[in-house]
Parts: sequence; structure tokens; C-alpha cells
Amino acid sequence: MGATWVYAEVTPEGTLPSALELLTKARTLGGDVAAVALGPGATNAAGELGAHGATTVYASDDQVFADRPGRPAAHTLHQLIGQHTPSLILFPGSYEGRDVAGCLQALTGSTLMANVTDVAGPSRAQTEIFGGTKIVEVDLAGPEPRLVLVRPKSFPAEPSGGTAEVVMVDAVTPTGPTATIVERHAEAATGPKLEEANVVIAGGRGLGGPEPFAMLDDLAAAIGGAAVGASRAAVDAGWVPYAYQVGQTGKTVKPEVYIAAGISGALQHVVGMKGAKRIVAINKDADAPILKIADLGVVGDLFQIVPALTEEVRRRASS
Amino acid sequence: MTLLRAAPAAARTADPGARARRELAHVLGQRKLFQKALPGVMHAFIFWGFLVLFPTIIEAMLAIVDDGRSLPVIGQAPWFLFLVDVFATLVAVGIAIAFYIRKVQRPDRFRGSHMEEADKILIAILGIVATLLLWNATKIALGQTLHPSAEPVANALSNLFGAGQPTETLERVFVWSHVLIVLGFLAYLPKSKHLHIITAVPNVYFAKNGPSGHLEKLEIDLEGPEEDLRFGVATPRDLSKKQLLDLFSCTECGRCQEVCPAWNTGKPLSPKLLIMDLRDAVAGVDPAAGEPTGEIELQPLVPNAVTDEVVWDCVTCGACMRECPVDIEHVDTIVDLRRNLVMAESRFPTEAGTMLRGVEGPNQNPWSQPASARTDWIGDIPVRVLAPGDPAPEYLFWVGCAGAFDDRAKKTTQSVARLLNAAGVDWAVLGGRERCTGDPARRMGHEYLFQMLAEQNVATFADAGITKVVATCAHCFNTLANEYPDYGATLEVVHHTELLSHLLAERKLLTTPGASGTVTYHDACYLGRHNGRFDPPRDVLGSTGLTATEMERARERSFCCGAGGARMWMEEDAGTRINDTRFAEAQGTGADTLAVACPYCFVMLDDAAKAAGSEMRVADVATLLAEATLGEPTTRP
Repeated sequence: MGATWVYAEVTPEGTLPSALELLTKARTLGGDVAAVALGPGATNAAGELGAHGATTVYASDDQVFADRPGRPAAHTLHQLIGQHTPSLILFPGSYEGRDVAGCLQALTGSTLMANVTDVAGPSRAQTEIFGGTKIVEVDLAGPEPRLVLVRPKSFPAEPSGGTAEVVMVDAVTPTGPTATIVERHAEAATGPKLEEANVVIAGGRGLGGPEPFAMLDDLAAAIGGAAVGASRAAVDAGWVPYAYQVGQTGKTVKPEVYIAAGISGALQHVVGMKGAKRIVAINKDADAPILKIADLGVVGDLFQIVPALTEEVRRRASS
Repeated sequence: MTLLRAAPAAARTADPGARARRELAHVLGQRKLFQKALPGVMHAFIFWGFLVLFPTIIEAMLAIVDDGRSLPVIGQAPWFLFLVDVFATLVAVGIAIAFYIRKVQRPDRFRGSHMEEADKILIAILGIVATLLLWNATKIALGQTLHPSAEPVANALSNLFGAGQPTETLERVFVWSHVLIVLGFLAYLPKSKHLHIITAVPNVYFAKNGPSGHLEKLEIDLEGPEEDLRFGVATPRDLSKKQLLDLFSCTECGRCQEVCPAWNTGKPLSPKLLIMDLRDAVAGVDPAAGEPTGEIELQPLVPNAVTDEVVWDCVTCGACMRECPVDIEHVDTIVDLRRNLVMAESRFPTEAGTMLRGVEGPNQNPWSQPASARTDWIGDIPVRVLAPGDPAPEYLFWVGCAGAFDDRAKKTTQSVARLLNAAGVDWAVLGGRERCTGDPARRMGHEYLFQMLAEQNVATFADAGITKVVATCAHCFNTLANEYPDYGATLEVVHHTELLSHLLAERKLLTTPGASGTVTYHDACYLGRHNGRFDPPRDVLGSTGLTATEMERARERSFCCGAGGARMWMEEDAGTRINDTRFAEAQGTGADTLAVACPYCFVMLDDAAKAAGSEMRVADVATLLAEATLGEPTTRP
């Protein structure tokens, strides 16, 4: 078979894990393996790409790839394909990967298979149907190279210890209308993610409004490594964003300790947190269903209990 | 037409008698149009006029060819002349009403409709009857009519004309204008929404017989030829003949839009706009390229014609279908679009994935609760849990997942259990052998998962020798009663409110109507509108002693709680919340209790009550009856 290429996403800070995962898979398919790395950081990444199985790295550090999404990379790839005729190109199923692969497909007219979970050969891939309940194998027909978008984390990344020859390429900048990236904005994240935190403190309707969530933030900060969540009632009321929601239609969390403050414990919520190792519930209603599943239930006013708890945690931490 | 010929036929030919009766009621009788009084009168005048005046078109054509000639038998019959005169006038009145509705009342249901096109059509119809009346008037003036007194309106108009040459010319002008407007109208018709005068007739005939809550079985043959494999509707070519007819029967009247819970709470979905957008997408298919076996690539309908959001906004409450005068089946088409999105593309609101995994997972319920917890509600209530091989009870009480796991719905389950015991009914539950009916998966479009569950449950029923089932969940009830027969079930299924009302009538349950207070009842869509059970819950409430008061939108026109169509498992972030809207309406009655008869309604409306900080109590009809008969404590859930 012809060569398998991997579209490697690189940044000045390094190579993205998807490139290494795809190279690891590409090694098993037989035939030459090459990586295409476009954008600032490409030549620096060549060593790591070589160590994961690329024998050739086509690289360009041109700023245009970072400034303009999709099309320059697709056109550059198109020219490279014309020169080297690979059989198969693997793309990561990321925003950039989908953008470039879609655009390239329009140029080559070859088959593009998206959402792939495994690659069995140069013309065979696996994907999921029925909401992930059935796996089907698909044949990739049509002219080469076949284009395949692979879901992230479908394969482990394993080094091969090789080295790559770096071939510098020139950026092809297409004419015509184009989109330009004018700003990059990283969403500020404080504390650990809800799903990864060891301690989750969640507030419900009993908080009565958005302000008391500051109280939960204080407790989370005092404990350290804790995240703040919410019940659907608090999210529906608009007190905190949907990202806070724990439950059937929100996040499922399995922390060491889950502290539910002012949450009655409707089934919708319990489904998302019943996997917690220990559940602490603070509720003024002694009949609240949450108290039935709590390891420690405190019946009382959360506006007194939570600040007192925060203070006690701080005192013990400092002593 | 090419698409229509190639489209798969829906199995809609059984029971022609029922279809003919529907044709008589819905088309000739205009029954669904009269659901709105003034527009109903308007349309009936024009439609009945159209039927009566049909021979006069032929008469006018004859008169053009051969002046003075009229139709044999009826042409000069006084009764026919009278009918023509009266109905031509009624059509003109109908047009006047139509313009009054459109230009003065301007109801919101017309938002998004083609208003100019309607104006053109109405003016053309007015032109047809005006020229007819004037033509008849000139004939009277010229003394060509034997019975002028049979035509009071034309007779009165004839005073405008003399008996001389100018009138003879005008007579020719009017008859020619009449025929030309009719012909112009016929030429315009096929490209306009007015095509409904032809398409509505078969559309009503091929409408679904039986309860509207019954979704048709989707044949999934994974072993068959790949090109025959269909997971619902992806492109225009996947629409059935009935679904295509639906699109070309729509007159954009907007009655569906007016009642749609999604549209009324500020969401993008309007059933009318959905049908119009699908129609435009289908009409845009190039007929030359659209040969059935052609090679053209048809665009997917979602998101090109309608957005994903529109498809997922639907609560499948069926209010649109109930209102539609020409029996368009919006919900079935929406579910078919969902089927393709879920099964072929795995594209659906992510938060609903937890439900699908739960229903499919080892415990087979939406909340992934352990199957062993299905009997946790029993407590100290004497309940027979059927073990394999046990003798079959008269009634199987189908508890349902919500009834088994949700704290609020459990109260309903317990109330029903106590009442069945008090009435001496021979009943039992399946316990851990029960599993989800598959309804939420099916309404999401996951037909494959639904069919697996249906087959498993039907096998369990057969194994346990079950013949009668009582269910508290309106969704379970609909699925068991209407959809399971497609998978081999032969069950008599009743809703708990039906059984309780029956037990009360038989005096097996005796009430001491000591309860005081006022109650308003919320009709569950899948019990009421989809299945016609309006009275049993009201009868049960009537025996409790509570004073009943109705919401404005009640019975057939009840407004959904927001949980149907698997919306229970999705976030609702566009517009206002449906449950809050409905709860506010219930509060508006001033009643102190809101009675429900379905666990979904219970959860949605009770959440809304809590969010509103309201003291209004939400409780199932069965719990209210249990309190009146057994003196159960009246604690808030």
C-alpha cells in the first residue's frame, strides 16, 4: 500500500496528543508513515512526531496557518498529495481537523469518513451507529487518498523511538474570500473540573438566589481542590450556568465527598451524584429525600451551617 | 409528482368505512374547521358554495359557446337557481369574513404565512362569484330567465341594468370574465397553497385511523439490501406518500402554530413553519433530476430545511394534529426526522444520552436505578409480586419507571395499590422483571432500542399469562395499549383513572366525600388528546367532594406540561419554560390543588410550583381519591 499520513496539530507550545495517537495507529497499518505539521511550532514538533513513528515530517512554520483557519492547510495538503500520492490521511476529530479535512475533501473529491473509532486498513474504518450501541465497519471507496476523521482518544500514544526526516514545505495560500482569526480567548477556569474534583459542594433551590453560591465558593476554596455544582432547580432559576448542573441531564460526578446544600434530592439530581463515596446533606426539611441517601444528614439552616463549616475547615487547616 | 410516485406508501388503507366517514365529517362536514367559529363559518360558506356552484362553471362555458343555452334539467329549475343565488352570496360573505379576519383581527397564527398569496386567491374567488351574480342579473334584465324571483340577489342587482344593447354587451363581458377568472384560478392553483382543494381530500382519507398517540412501526431490516435500509427520514426521498401529501395540503392557516406549546413559549418550532419549510425543500427538488433511480444527491432535510433545534423542540403533544383541518400529521414526521438523526447520525441533545444509556443499560430504566429497587415503594402495603410460574392475576399493575423510582410518582403508586386492595381487585406487579416500555427512546427516535424493549416486555407478558394491565403513566398506557399490539401483545390496557372510576361506579370503592377545597385537573396529552380519556379522571375527582374548576385550555385543548416527546430528558433553555406556563394557568383558576394523572405531568408541574414558590398542591387523582376513601394523610410530597 501507499503511505499513511497523519495531519498533526501543533502549537508553539508543543504537539497535541491526537497527533501521537494517530501516528501510533498509522504504524500498524503497514507502508510508510508521514506526518504533516503546519503552523508555528511545526519544525520543533518534528522530533516528537519522529519518535512516534513518522519517518518523514512535512513541516511549515508559516504564520498563515495560525491566522487563517482551514483553507491554507487544506490547499497546502492538496499540493503535497499531488507530489507524493499517499493512500490514506488520518485527521483528528477536532475543530481544526474537521475544518481542514472537509475543505480538502472538496478539493480532492475523495472519500471522507468522519467520527471513526478504529482504522482497520487503508480502505476500512469502524464507526458507531444507533447512539453508540452498534459498531459497523465501512469500506472506503473512491480515489485515493481516503480521508478519515478519528475520534480523540481512540488509540493510545506509544513512542517507537524513531527519527524523522524533516521536509520543509511552502504554504499555499488560496485566493478568494477567507476567514481570519482576529482574537483568541481562553475561558478562565477556576478550581478543578466538576467531574474531576475530589469534593463537590452543590447548591439547590434552598439557596434562594444566586448570591449564596459565593458561600459555597468560600467553602470550596477553604477545602481546596473542591468544585461547586448545582441542582437543576438552581440552574433553571438562572442562579448559576448550566455547566454547574449535576444530575440526569447535567453532569455525573463521583467525588470522595459530595456536600448537598439546600437540595431536596429529586431523582433527576440523585442520578448524577449517587456514585459519590460519601454524601453530606444539609437541609432544613427533615423529610427531604436526600437525607435518605446521605451518609451524614444535617437538618438545619444552611445559612448558618455552611459558614460555620467553612470557618472550622480554615481553623483546622491553619493549626 | 415524481417524488410522490416513488415515495414509499404508508399502510393507510385498512377500514375504508372509517376513512369514508372521516371524509364526510372532516371534508363535507368541515368539522375541524368549526373548531374555530368565525373562521369555520367563513370556510364552510366558501367550500359549500364551491360545491353548489360547480355546475355553473360548465353552464357559463356552454353560454360562451352557445349564447342562451343552459344545462339540461337543472339549468332553469327554480330550486337550482335559488341555491346558486344564495350560495354565491354566501361565498361573497365568506370572503368578506376572511378579509375581516386577515385585515382587522390579524391573529398571530398567520405569522410566517404567505399573506399576499391568500389575498390573491380570495380576490379571485370574489371575482368568480361577483361575475356570476352580475351575469345572472343581466340575464334577468334581458328577460332570459324564466324564474327571476328564484334569484333574489341577482334579481335585486338586475335593477342596475336596462334591457337594451349595453346590457347585452355586459352580459357577454360578465360571462367571459367569469370563465377567464375560473381558468386563471385553475392555472394558478397547482403552484399555490390553495392546492389543498385537491390534496386535502386524499390527505384526510389516508390519515391515521385510531388514536393519534400510536406511532407506526418502523421496519428495520439489518439483514436486507443496504439500499433499502432506512432509519426514518433523511432526505425528501424518504418521506412517505402521506407525508408528502401533508406538505402540499397545508394552507398555512396556522391553527397548529396557535396551540403549539413550543411556539407559545418562544421556541423556534412552529408546526406550520415546519411543514412549509419541508414543502419548500421538497418543491425545490428538480423534477427532471429527481427521477426515482437518478443519481442526484438529495440534501438532508435537517439542517437544510429545518434546524436540529426545531426537530428537538417538539413535545409530541399532538395539539397541532388535533387542530389541523386537513389532518396533517406533524408529530409522525418529526419523529421520523428524529429517527434518522439518532439512529443514522447519532445526533441528538447530549443530555438525553444519559436516559438512552439507562434504558438500554443493564437496569433498563431512564434513571439507571437498580432493577431490584423497583419494589422499594411497597413498604408495608400488601402487594403480590409475581415470581416466574405464579398464577396470573386479573390485573397486572404496570408501575412504570417513574412510579417505581421517583419519590413523587411513588406516592401515586402507593395510592393506587391501597385503592386496589380496598376494592378487592385481584392484582399483582412484575417487580424487578418490569422494564421501561421504551416510550422515551421511541419518542427520541431510537426505534431500534424501543423495539428491543417492546419484544422483551411482550415476552414477559406472555410468560406471566397477563391479559389485563393497569398503568398510572399516560406514556406507558399509550405505548402498551396502542403500540405493543404491533409487537404481538394482546392486552386489555386501562389507565388507573379508568379503573378507579369503574370501581367507584360499581360501588367497590366507597367514598366519604368529606374533602373540601377546589381542584383543577390537568389533562395529560397521552391520556386525553391522544387517547380520548377525558372523563374518567374527572369522574374520580367528582367523587372526592372537592369542587372542580376547569382551566381555559382543558380536555382536547389541554396544554402540555412540557415533558412529552422525551423532552423530560432534555434541557429547555430557549424561551420560557412550558411547565411554568402551564402551572401559571392552573394557578389562575384559583384552585388550591392541581390534579394530575401522569407522573411526567406530576414532576413537571410540581417543579414549576416549587420554582414559583406557590402553595398550590400538585397531586395525582388517585392520591386525592385515596384521601377521600381511605383517609390517607395529606402530606405535600
